[in-house]
Amino acid sequence: MNKNMKILVVDDFSTMRRIIKNLLRDLGFTNISEADDGSTALPMLQGGDFDFVVTDWNMPGMQGIDLLRAIRADAKLKHIPVMMVTAEAKKEQIIAAAQAGVNGYIVKPFTAATLQEKLAKVFERIG
Amino acid sequence: MPATTVPLITLEQAKELVQLLEIGEQEVANQLVQQLGTPGSSELFAEVGKITRQLHDSLKNFQIDPSLSNILQEDIPDAKKRLNHVIDMTEQAANRTMDAVESCLPIADEITKQLGQLMPQWQKLMQRDLPLAEFKALCHDIDGFLQKTSSESLRLNSLLTDVLMAQDFQDLTGQILRRVIELVREVEESLIGLVTAFGKSSSQFLEQQPVKSKTKTLVAAEGPIIDAAERADVVNGQDDVDDLLSSLGF
Repeated sequence: MNKNMKILVVDDFSTMRRIIKNLLRDLGFTNISEADDGSTALPMLQGGDFDFVVTDWNMPGMQGIDLLRAIRADAKLKHIPVMMVTAEAKKEQIIAAAQAGVNGYIVKPFTAATLQEKLAKVFERIG
Repeated sequence: MPATTVPLITLEQAKELVQLLEIGEQEVANQLVQQLGTPGSSELFAEVGKITRQLHDSLKNFQIDPSLSNILQEDIPDAKKRLNHVIDMTEQAANRTMDAVESCLPIADEITKQLGQLMPQWQKLMQRDLPLAEFKALCHDIDGFLQKTSSESLRLNSLLTDVLMAQDFQDLTGQILRRVIELVREVEESLIGLVTAFGKSSSQFLEQQPVKSKTKTLVAAEGPIIDAAERADVVNGQDDVDDLLSSLGF
């Protein structure tokens, strides 16, 4: 796993962005940007060469599931792995995210170990 | 007599009244007197009747307005449950943070204490002022310190991560509170609707009623689930998520 990869953390709560950023930093990732919802994240993704997206689901403006779909629908972005970190825990939502092409799904509240494990899994599968 | 004074009775009306009394038409005369005494009273009674009707209709409409009865029967009790859940979560987060801090402090104290013990000997060494026997003892002390500190620093790291993770309550309770705020706004809207209904005709009021039926799309966001154990449509923790995803071939 390339520790210099560019990561975008999308969550409307700045505390959660800080938590995820700190956890990622603890795992050795330092190239991290933030966005507070899908509609701010999408132009950032289109403008920058991001390697990985961690997004919440429930956000004002553009929701995480719509961001995921927009990424998969964009020829330039569709290869980017997307991991959802969200409190949304309905089975139909997880299925919808899987169908939309999510690479990992973590329900809040989560642990540092879970994030590390799922992250490793995402990149192991991508190779 | 000022010119603006409105006569309560005109000369013609007085003559008519006298005429009616003279010919014995008592009933008609009474009517005339009533008309003269309370001008516009019939309009007033009609208006009161209209308002009463409006009130009646409004109350009836409120009773059958599903959005309001939903608010009373489901949303308010649900909001209470959510707010209690917020209290629980903030309490848990506070305790989790304080537990971790309380475990960190003795570790930091111990490191400071050991450093204090090593420092004088170490300074002697740096000043080339340490006898060989003491140098050997210092080496053993430093070795012990390094080994202990390396495991303690790992423990500190995990405790600090605990403090960090405990802060996730702000996101989770924030999502819950936003929903409750939205409910308060809905109740406020309904109450404003009720108040304004009395100043307007029923038809206007009915047009103004929010005809909001909560259309929940299949994958609408719901926020943190506060009763996952009692629900079949939600996962209960990360293991459930993993099982579900692996059943989908992930």
